[in-house]
Amino acid sequence: MLQCSDMTVLERQRARLKWQEEHFQQHQQESYFSELSGVFSSQTGHVQGFHQGGLMSCGGAAGGDSVLSDVMMTRQLKPDPGLETAWPELGKKVDMGAMGFGPCGYGNGQSFDMNQAISRTSSCPPAMAAVEAVEVKGNLEKMGLAVGRESFKKRKVEKLQNSKVVAEDDSKRIKASEEEEEESKITGPNTKKSSNNNKETSGDTSKENSKVSDVQKPDYIHVRARRGQATDSHSLAERVRREKISERMKYLQDLVPGCNKITGKAGMLDEIINYVQSLQRQVEFLSMKLATVNTRLDFDIDNLYGKDVFPSCTSNFSTVGNMPPELANHPPYVQFNPIQQVVSGCGVEMGINSSDMALRRTISASVLIPDASLLNTSCFTGMQQIQPSAAWDVELQNLYNVAFTGSIEGSDLKMEM
Amino acid sequence: MNNPHHMNPRSLKSRFTTRFLRALTKIRAQKPISSSSPTEIFRRYRKIKVAADKSMAYSVRSRKTWSRAMLWKLRSRSHRRRPVKTKFRQSVMKNTKTTTTTGEDGVGFGVEASELRELVPGGEAMDLCNLLDETAHYIKCLTTQVQVMKKIADFYSL
Repeated sequence: MLQCSDMTVLERQRARLKWQEEHFQQHQQESYFSELSGVFSSQTGHVQGFHQGGLMSCGGAAGGDSVLSDVMMTRQLKPDPGLETAWPELGKKVDMGAMGFGPCGYGNGQSFDMNQAISRTSSCPPAMAAVEAVEVKGNLEKMGLAVGRESFKKRKVEKLQNSKVVAEDDSKRIKASEEEEEESKITGPNTKKSSNNNKETSGDTSKENSKVSDVQKPDYIHVRARRGQATDSHSLAERVRREKISERMKYLQDLVPGCNKITGKAGMLDEIINYVQSLQRQVEFLSMKLATVNTRLDFDIDNLYGKDVFPSCTSNFSTVGNMPPELANHPPYVQFNPIQQVVSGCGVEMGINSSDMALRRTISASVLIPDASLLNTSCFTGMQQIQPSAAWDVELQNLYNVAFTGSIEGSDLKMEM
Repeated sequence: MNNPHHMNPRSLKSRFTTRFLRALTKIRAQKPISSSSPTEIFRRYRKIKVAADKSMAYSVRSRKTWSRAMLWKLRSRSHRRRPVKTKFRQSVMKNTKTTTTTGEDGVGFGVEASELRELVPGGEAMDLCNLLDETAHYIKCLTTQVQVMKKIADFYSL
């Protein structure tokens, strides 16, 4: 941000100079030039002169909003050449904004702004920015520029771009001035004016302080530091990082069930770790189950490949009859008992129809099992399969449907029964 | 049986299911009638587990670090049949040491973060921020996996 303000100042000066050339006499230019040089050498006295020059320049133009807008309009064109020559990455907007308000501020003659500016300039070597900012601020207040306030938006400053429109310029102008205002606030004591300005603008701005860093970072994402927080570049980067981490922790909190009550990152992380471990264990368990089940699925493979299934069906059905007593012990499977009995009662005579029905019932039954019961290991030792599916397509389709739609499929199928 | 819900063929769930079912049928086809000996079952279990992980990782492709790491592990395991994992881990740990030490910003995640890194495949080489991202996606995929496998197991266990 320092860089930004630097450029703003210089750009502003350049633009102002150009403006001056057009509208004012030589002596004013000279004074400006002297002020320019003076500002960088010794700040206070020249700043005043500069200020007065601004006053004069603004005095030349009529007061009032219309003129101000006029001035702004004219100003907007000015900085472009200046901008091109200098740091091109700086937004013209910022420049123009600052530019636009600078002279106007001068017109109002905020002397105590000057004082503040002076104090800030002493603390902050590229002082012009601060000066201008304060003056601009003063202008904002005095002139009651609704434009600034309305168009002010919270901004996370990335690289400033070059192509802008007037409306944006306004917001950027305000932004720039806000920025500088904030920046100077950090470095210098908070003055009433700055705090007033803060309050005037939206609440967002009060949180935003421009980052004052000794190192200029044009390529980094600029994040505004919070008020009252350290503005060291390292701590700011860390704060960004911490915010990212907390954002992700919140997302994880939603993912992991039962994490709402836990506050604190360590506890959350423990929960997450436990959850991941439990999920992994579940996958292992299920694959073990499928492996066991697989042994029984052998004839299914035959089925899948369309072989004769009746003999195997018979064997299955006979085993099925033995199942209900086992299953009866498991409450979640009670609902299967009637199904099993029906299936066993079907007998082989019914052939494919019974197998289809059994299949359907299995599907509906399977989806009725609450998930928790799955982990009941005692179940699957006694589990047999009833897979008398004549059609490979049907079975796989069913399987697919079951795997996908689960309970919904089940409820539909239940109707069929 | 009408399926009232149209499955999104491109969702993670559908991708995983198709792949996994294909792998399952392949596994079953390999050993048509197997004895119920524990070793056989164990071997089958390993195969199925690998198939599940693989199909999940393939469904995610290379979009996530954890899937890439998992695929890498699976491939290296299948190709070399050696404890390449240790080499991988060593090389990764070297990188990790630098990243974690510089990445610690005093938030105090040390123990849990390292545990999480062990759990999430490829987590050793990530800083905390990315680790949490990957963990979230990994959890999502694991839940999908568990769901689908449960339903398949239910289907086949009755």
